[in-house]
Amino acid sequence: MIRPRERRWMAVAVAVLYVFLLAPIAIVVLAALNSGAYLRFPPEGLSLRWFVAFAESRSFTSSLRFSLKLAALATAASTVVGTMASVWIVRFSGRWRNAFRVLFVAPLAVPGILTGIALLIFFYAVGWGNTGFVGLVIGHTLICTPYVFLITSAVLLRFDRTLEEAARNLGAGALRTFWRITLPLIKGGIISGAVFAFVASYDEFNISLLLSGVGMTPLPIQLFDYLRFSFDPTAAVAGTISIGMAFVVVLVTQKLVGLDALYLGGG
Amino acid sequence: MGAPARDVLAVELVGAGPPPERRLARHAGRHVLIVPALAVLIVFFVLPYLNLTLISLMTPSHQAPYARVLTLGNYATLLRDPFTWRVIWHTLWIGVATTAICLVISYPLAYHLARAPRRLRGLLMILVISPLLVGVLIRTYGWMILLQDTGLINQTLRALHLPAAPLMYNDTGVLIGLVHVFVPFMVLSIAGTIQTIDPELEFAARSLGAGAWRTFRRVVFPLSLPGVLAGTVLVWVLTISSYVIPSLLGGFTVLTVPILVVRTVTELFNWPGGSAFAILFFVITLAVVGLYVRAMGHAGRLPDQGDDR
Repeated sequence: MIRPRERRWMAVAVAVLYVFLLAPIAIVVLAALNSGAYLRFPPEGLSLRWFVAFAESRSFTSSLRFSLKLAALATAASTVVGTMASVWIVRFSGRWRNAFRVLFVAPLAVPGILTGIALLIFFYAVGWGNTGFVGLVIGHTLICTPYVFLITSAVLLRFDRTLEEAARNLGAGALRTFWRITLPLIKGGIISGAVFAFVASYDEFNISLLLSGVGMTPLPIQLFDYLRFSFDPTAAVAGTISIGMAFVVVLVTQKLVGLDALYLGGG
Repeated sequence: MGAPARDVLAVELVGAGPPPERRLARHAGRHVLIVPALAVLIVFFVLPYLNLTLISLMTPSHQAPYARVLTLGNYATLLRDPFTWRVIWHTLWIGVATTAICLVISYPLAYHLARAPRRLRGLLMILVISPLLVGVLIRTYGWMILLQDTGLINQTLRALHLPAAPLMYNDTGVLIGLVHVFVPFMVLSIAGTIQTIDPELEFAARSLGAGAWRTFRRVVFPLSLPGVLAGTVLVWVLTISSYVIPSLLGGFTVLTVPILVVRTVTELFNWPGGSAFAILFFVITLAVVGLYVRAMGHAGRLPDQGDDR
């Protein structure tokens, strides 16, 4: 219980903190739309000149295309693998459930940079030293699968199982029940998991840093190299695209699953 | 499923489920579901980490990434080098500072979020989670625009005739960037537990005369400890293993273990040395988390045995 005066202080503090949380993101969008090379207040004016610079920069557009391709493949793989795993965990895992849950989420819990190094050395050790693109897809799939797994299991846990039993009792086989009953009902979770996976791969840095070879530069790596020596707002355009994608993900997840499903600890 | 299906359901509801032989087939077949995920995890996660451990015991070589001769030399070299320990200490310290600041910032946000009316909560969740989905690199870039010497903050300071503040390429910049990236994790962890605390408990404490601070210290905070524990461990572990933020906001001046490990592996091509450093750091991390969880377990029990009686 909070009294009105305390509530006002709380509201002020919370508002300040939200500004802190969102300021750097808003700044990136402003920088992309600003006409000058430096962001100043008051801004010098709106312009799309950095968007043009981005579109004309071969290194940025080719790494954007590369990132989209990589994310599409990693999303496809992790959505199939993750959904299957979540159905199994929620339905059939029995007493092993917790052990498997921990194992499936482990790639998110260990430092990504170490996973990258471990994969780099492993690919070399088994003679796949130049797996190149395939290695990247594998690494990204490893990181994306837990997201699909977590979101789909959250939906499956809320699922009314009697609907499946009814289908089985009416004579539908296991596969038919899955296609006609289970899949349509958990579709929202799967879509939302896939969208999460896509953005996770699109933004993934650690794995790409270690596994991307010559001629394969995902956008985050391109940005990293760029930002080490330059601040020019072409990078802000890449940022703005990424922010737009994040916005879409949040809206899709909120609509299909509800963001409450994403509480991490406790509860 | 139209009306006919419902009619059939009404008729056949009495009949029992699938015949026993089909049930058996289902038993064997359903475990196929787990095969792809398990295969990916074992081949591309468990094995690489085991391999990393193995390589950390190999001898460094100039001709190849490593020579197949077992040794403990990599660990001995690391443990003897004071530079290693300085970098480890600095990394752990950055982790503690980031976690502490994150906790102070996140608690009010989490409390406010957990106690917000349902409609507002959806919006607040969007605000908390959105930064999480914008790539770390992009958020770091946002901070670079704000913090650099010619950035917005220093422009403002100069306009006010105040001395410029060095906010980037040092620990300050790294801390700001890290705190910003990890606050959402802490908020989500804590908000989860606060939501399970019955508001009636706070009401009871207040009506019995406890002030806001006392109610927080004696009722809300102790009950939210599981979330605090989860959040602090998560944020600390993520912080000490982050690479992008210390390298971009720290420039070349802030050295952390991940930066040094990557440099050893990719620039010096000393795979055994880098692997050994990675494993050593992993072990230290596990040890610290273990000690911390134990200590928090004790702290969590204290209030019951203390002055409440």
